[in-house]
Amino acid sequence: MDDQGCPRCKTTKYRNPSLKLMVNVCGHTLCESCVDMLFVRGSGNCVQCDTPLRKSNFRVQLFEDPAVDKEVEIRKKVLKIYNKRDFDFSNLREYNDYLERVEEIVYNLTNNLEVEGTKQIMEAYQRENRDIIQKNKAKLTREQEELEELLLLEQQGNEQRRLETLQEEQRQLQAKRKSKQALLDELERSHVPATILLAQHKDRAAQLETQIEKQKQVVKTTIFSTGIPMGQTVSLLTVTRLEEVLYHYQPIHIHTYGPPVPELEQLGRLGYLNHVRTAQPQDMAGGYNSGLACHRAIQDAFSGLFHPLG
Amino acid sequence: MFHISSQKKYWTFDNEESLEQLRYEANQKYRNKMLASGKPGVSDAVLLEAHEENVLFRHYEKRLLDFCNAFKPVMPKSVVGTAIMYFRRFYLNNSLMEYHPRTIMLICAYLSCKVDEFNVSSTQFVGNLVQESAAGQERALEQILEYELLLIQQLNFHLVVHTPYRPMEGLLIDIKTRYPLLENPESLRKSVDDFLTRVTLTDSGLLFPPSQIAMTAILNSASRAGLSMESYLTECMGLKEDKETLLKMYDAMRRIKSLMKKYELPKPDEVNAYKVKLERVHADFVTNSNTKRKRGYEDDDHVAKEPRMTEEEEWTDEDLDDL
Repeated sequence: MDDQGCPRCKTTKYRNPSLKLMVNVCGHTLCESCVDMLFVRGSGNCVQCDTPLRKSNFRVQLFEDPAVDKEVEIRKKVLKIYNKRDFDFSNLREYNDYLERVEEIVYNLTNNLEVEGTKQIMEAYQRENRDIIQKNKAKLTREQEELEELLLLEQQGNEQRRLETLQEEQRQLQAKRKSKQALLDELERSHVPATILLAQHKDRAAQLETQIEKQKQVVKTTIFSTGIPMGQTVSLLTVTRLEEVLYHYQPIHIHTYGPPVPELEQLGRLGYLNHVRTAQPQDMAGGYNSGLACHRAIQDAFSGLFHPLG
Repeated sequence: MFHISSQKKYWTFDNEESLEQLRYEANQKYRNKMLASGKPGVSDAVLLEAHEENVLFRHYEKRLLDFCNAFKPVMPKSVVGTAIMYFRRFYLNNSLMEYHPRTIMLICAYLSCKVDEFNVSSTQFVGNLVQESAAGQERALEQILEYELLLIQQLNFHLVVHTPYRPMEGLLIDIKTRYPLLENPESLRKSVDDFLTRVTLTDSGLLFPPSQIAMTAILNSASRAGLSMESYLTECMGLKEDKETLLKMYDAMRRIKSLMKKYELPKPDEVNAYKVKLERVHADFVTNSNTKRKRGYEDDDHVAKEPRMTEEEEWTDEDLDDL
């Protein structure tokens, strides 16, 4: 978070992590207080690149790298003009070419390459495709509205559910209070001994609890999570029975073209290990033992010894 | 293990004739390519013949061996064996005229260090070229890195080489355990080592499994020392009944020994004559087609494709002398 300080006041960012960084159109950052400072004095130039700025052009930085913010801004502007969609094109190739041109433009503007030329291209495009742009804008707004409606519905649903649970809790609390009050009243009034009264009260409380539990579980499930409604019988096709041969393990046999090599475990018994350098404690700690090296040497010595020649 | 290795499948040939054939074909291919390219000055007399290439090959192989022996830190024998094997396999399918052996031999050593996990940094490696200045070492390093991928490609990416050194150790252990008739196998070690070094300079690595070469080495040294080891093969290896395999073993050993006898160090005057020819071929005709070096992933717009007509030999043979 603090890997970049404000380029002007440098220290303030580190001292005050809640201080926000603002980005402007040239892609350089300034913390809030520096922005205010800069426009108090009436001058409006960026500290690092000296481009003239307006205070309104500063937006709160969303990304760590200011260049990304700059690109996001540029992209929004470009896409307002270049707003064709994939069904506007006859084939995939054209759509991809169009997208690539858009990326070129964004890239050029972000990295300040050929800014003039790019702006001219954009203007030319805007002039040519004015009506298409308008149409697409209209479409976009319609879609956005639909999305917003859906969101609203969801929110309302959430609200309702919250209210309901609240009310439930309230009712339960009240019920409990009532039963307690009833117990106290009876203790005062009746002539039955206190222990029996308490037992009765406990019984009633237990009953209430079970009632509450049952109510909670009354959420009727009518459909399974996969969407199949409950209670429907799904007819399955009979599964064909697959008969296969049981797998039988055959140990692999590798032809070494040489005499047989003794097993690793038997090397010690056969006396091979006497002729190999014994493993030091350091080697053994890592899992090495002299049998490994010996076995490898013997394998190499015997491999291919009887290799058939032409 | 050798019996399932790529060395057995792809790089073990039946007889010396097939090897000769391959080298001859590589030479012919390059000659035809040069003659067909129509460059001025190309003629049959200027290009090297297969047997001339052979002489030069042996010369450079010896240089490689000397370079590896003089290497600091001390190079393990398996690394040396692997490097020489790479050199040999490379020139089985390529002509010396196309790629200068001086460069290839250093790359073989470098690659072999990497493959055999003998960790040498590249600066340390070129530091062993003591005749060079630092700039010369830099250039050598650049060349090594340029051709490394080519070498791996020509080896068909089969980088694991089984040398006879570990089988030799294994056989010694086995002899000590199961063959008490031979009293002191350790006494044989020095001459066995000697034998194995000489064997790497022959074609045996491409013809026989390393365990057979090791066996030959041991039996040979034993017989040189006057000790008889006949019963080792028959008794311990269980070959008493299997006459056929026994005969084949003896045959193989005989062939290895004859290959060793045939090997001779190339004569200096021949070498110099052919070297002059080789240098001329390289200077005149070889255009550096390997300059499309991918220096990291540059932008695709700027792939460097300048054909550098520079000479490869910024450092000469004499720099490798008396290493």
